[in-house]
Amino acid sequence: MNKKEKGFNKNFQLETPLAPKRTRLQEFWRLFRQNRLAILGLFIFILFFCCAIVGLFMTSGPDPLLDPAMIRLQEKLRPPLAKPNLDSLRREEIPYLGFYLMGTDDLGRDVFARMLQGAWVSLTVGFVAVGISVLIGIFMGGIAGYFGQHHIRVDHVLVTLVLISGAALVTANFIRSGAALLCLTPAYIFYFIWSQNRSGKKTLPLWAKVFRKNAVSIDTLIMRIVDIMLCFPSFFLILTVVALLPASIYNIMIVIGLTSWMGATRFVRAEFLSLREQDFVAAVKTLGAGNFRIIFRHMMPNAMAPVLVSATIGIATAILTEAGLSFLGFGVPPPHATWGNILSDGKNFIFDAPWLTFIPGIAILIVVLSFNLFGEGLRDVLNPKLRERH
Amino acid sequence: MISFIGRSVIQKIITLFFVSIVSFLIIHIAPGKPSQVDPMNPKFTPEMVERFQKEFHLDKPLHVQYLYFYKDLFTGETVSWKDNQSVLKKIWERFLNSLPLFIVGTIITWTLSFPIGIRSAIFRGQFYDRSATFLSYLLISIPGFFFAYVLIIFVVNQFHVPVIGMETFGIGDGASLPYIFMDRIWHLLLPSVLGATGGIAVLSRYVRSQMLEVEGQDYIRTAWAKGLPPEQVHYKHALRNALLPFVTMFGLILPGLIGGSVIIESIFSWPGMGRMAYEAILARDYPVILTVNFVSAVLVLAGTFISDLLYLVVDPRIRL
Amino acid sequence: MTNDNTLISVQDLKVYFRSGHECARAVDGISFEIRQEETVCLVGESGCGKTVSALSILGLIQTPPGEIAGGQIMFQGKNLLELDEEDMQKIRGNRIAMVFQEPLTSLNPVFTIEDQIGEAISIHKNIGSGELRDCCIKLLKDVGIPSPVQRLKDYPHQLSGGQRQRVMIAMALACDPDLIIADEPTTALDVTVQAQILQLLKSIQETRSMSILYITHDLGVVANIAHRVYVMYSGIVTEQGNAAQIFHHARHPYTQGLLASLPSRSKRGKRLFSIPGTVPNPAYKPAGCPFHPRCPHAIPICGKEYPKMCDYGQAHLARCPVLFKNSHNPDKPEPKSI
Repeated sequence: MNKKEKGFNKNFQLETPLAPKRTRLQEFWRLFRQNRLAILGLFIFILFFCCAIVGLFMTSGPDPLLDPAMIRLQEKLRPPLAKPNLDSLRREEIPYLGFYLMGTDDLGRDVFARMLQGAWVSLTVGFVAVGISVLIGIFMGGIAGYFGQHHIRVDHVLVTLVLISGAALVTANFIRSGAALLCLTPAYIFYFIWSQNRSGKKTLPLWAKVFRKNAVSIDTLIMRIVDIMLCFPSFFLILTVVALLPASIYNIMIVIGLTSWMGATRFVRAEFLSLREQDFVAAVKTLGAGNFRIIFRHMMPNAMAPVLVSATIGIATAILTEAGLSFLGFGVPPPHATWGNILSDGKNFIFDAPWLTFIPGIAILIVVLSFNLFGEGLRDVLNPKLRERH
Repeated sequence: MISFIGRSVIQKIITLFFVSIVSFLIIHIAPGKPSQVDPMNPKFTPEMVERFQKEFHLDKPLHVQYLYFYKDLFTGETVSWKDNQSVLKKIWERFLNSLPLFIVGTIITWTLSFPIGIRSAIFRGQFYDRSATFLSYLLISIPGFFFAYVLIIFVVNQFHVPVIGMETFGIGDGASLPYIFMDRIWHLLLPSVLGATGGIAVLSRYVRSQMLEVEGQDYIRTAWAKGLPPEQVHYKHALRNALLPFVTMFGLILPGLIGGSVIIESIFSWPGMGRMAYEAILARDYPVILTVNFVSAVLVLAGTFISDLLYLVVDPRIRL
Repeated sequence: MTNDNTLISVQDLKVYFRSGHECARAVDGISFEIRQEETVCLVGESGCGKTVSALSILGLIQTPPGEIAGGQIMFQGKNLLELDEEDMQKIRGNRIAMVFQEPLTSLNPVFTIEDQIGEAISIHKNIGSGELRDCCIKLLKDVGIPSPVQRLKDYPHQLSGGQRQRVMIAMALACDPDLIIADEPTTALDVTVQAQILQLLKSIQETRSMSILYITHDLGVVANIAHRVYVMYSGIVTEQGNAAQIFHHARHPYTQGLLASLPSRSKRGKRLFSIPGTVPNPAYKPAGCPFHPRCPHAIPICGKEYPKMCDYGQAHLARCPVLFKNSHNPDKPEPKSI
């Protein structure tokens, strides 16, 4: 036996090719390429991105090439590809392309220019809203998943409540009661310094002991907040808030972002909870890495897959929501064009000028579809369980 | 079991409490005074505004307003600022109008998505699955209002039937009963199909992925190895396991009563809950908005509670 | 090679899995046979194609991505690979039954034990419900489950791991099959329970006179249960013979390596041996002998030529011409290729 053992350890040829070595990205791309629909989605997405950027430059500025706001009442409701009636137009009113690629609307505005302008709105609303929701989601989910077992003390809860409601009251013009609450801040600072000094000795009075009790674990707190947020009917909530706030595209982005972070929070939390128990995290911990490093260097990359997928699909949803808001008349204030309000304006002429309904409708459909297809493709590739099966 | 129910009910009540606070704050902190209900109205004189503020305690601090509001809500005395009608009565009327839409939509959704999803999973990767997948992506992505107009154009051009509203205007007098019935059906059909499209797409995808998940399990391999015929493997062993999560979804469809119907009801001029909510938002009719919010939160919580209970009943692995 | 009492003989079976442009040759031309009332072990590292070969006997390879690329499986005069789905159903569970590795996940969690065992009987036999119940009770008793009557209404999660595996075995025994394929039935169990299950399988095999194809990576189990052994590596059979031949006169470097890496009393205190390198990716197998990159006896030709089976007599075969030549005596016959 011993002879054989010696033999085994010698002249072992490691250089034999076992399998072609691929980086993670190559492997990802190889799997992703197999899903034709996802590739199609990616392609349309890139196209849409370019359109939106080009459209931004062509339709903005003091003297845009394609003016989405130019009104030519004599040229109203011209069908797509119609040539303008050159006799009745002034020089600067003649469309840049020489014809109306997508027709004109009831005020004679060039639908093509309006669509380009709207593309940028859809793109920014989608990305900014999802950006906000993902950031909040990662933050909340990360805290719940990683520090979830820590507890918040009663005094923390009380102080936060007091400060938040004070600030809220002030902004809501109940200045006097709000200010009174905010005045409690110095009192808290005194209390804090006092209890810090006293904590060495073990003779805190009873009320201070109650204050220093653990009230609720961070995980429970955050997940209850998520539950509360999930109780609101999302579209109705967005509608309410957008209707109450002054009409502006930024408000829409922020409101959509603030009402859609719950999914990302749940994903990140679940990932963190399972990752935290895994051996590689324990290994990093034993090496003496700090929390910051563990979270951002080791856990975050592993937790990103589901977030990425839900973000992609979230963009699609945000675009749809924005279009719905615009359609109901709560979106970006006119005369700025969005796909939703082009469609909304066009619905009155649905039988006379169907292109006013169909062009923005189909544009929204295609863009949202591309995001959905791309997102599902990502999900298939990034999900190790599904990967094995293919 | 009883302790589980008790804990869950208490938890839900606490959640509801916070929801009520949050929704109250959202509405009152947003800029724009509730007293601007109808500033264009020439009758809306400063004296009126003052009387109005008194009547609805708007001159009191916020927390007192909160207490007044929810006291009124629970005693059923809340009235709409717009027309002074009882909000609960209003909501109930509108709810009854929305109910047929909801029921028909739900039936369409559930009866279609299950066969589609299951078949897709069984024939995965084949033509049926691919086309069902693509179609459901299409349905998820299509904006509801756009699809509504496409359908309206199609139905009006093809069948020459009116579809807007709950019934043809002025049909009540002199028409025969079957005619009225058919008229109702036509008006009901489009909005409920529209309400169902998104649901069908999402639910059938979910059914498919659940089925695929289960079909990959070891016990399905065991079932094959026993020599069971395919129908028995798919529809007995796999389906029974794949269905578990859907039992819980029965509870979660409750909130759909209010949620997604705003756009569809306003397109079809359907006098339901969604449209009422929309009108209330337009008119800044805070009591109605808050009550709708509160009712829907109650529905969500009741839904999750029911689904928790159903899960207990269905899954033999969970016994308390 | 086929004797009269051969129950099943697998010849040159090839099972490939395609994904994209890659083709993983999970089983790459294996041949083996099982005689009546015999326990045959398939031994090898994980990923060498043991389970895939077993599943292809029952026709349970998912196509796509799997694909049976060649060979035949003769069972009672029929080629199983040519049977249609309906005839295969009559064989599965009825003539050939299978016990899987994970008793935790191999039982359907939403049906009772009675449902699951009874189902296996009722699809293959025409039997009344009262009789069915008695059958279930008897089977549970046979596999050593205490108080079987009460257990009937239990769900799988109410049983322990060992009991679940016993239920799996009862299910496999339900129709009195000619062959039971046991795919690492003890891997997921505690050592003490392992021994009990092995004992159970052994006694079943003796009392019911059926054949067992036992798949494992555990040489200890092999020594305990096997009449004959097939050692697999990377989708091929590298050595075959009876238990004594394999354990005491291993003729293939891989088998020798496996045996050397077993802990034993004589090696106490010494560093345990391990075969260097890893099992090749089934999609990118080295040319020639798949083991040659890890083999201490490898010579240049091993990387070029596919090795032939060499006959050491008494049905002991090994796929290593190099060692065969080294031990080759002029009076023995030339290596016979199979």
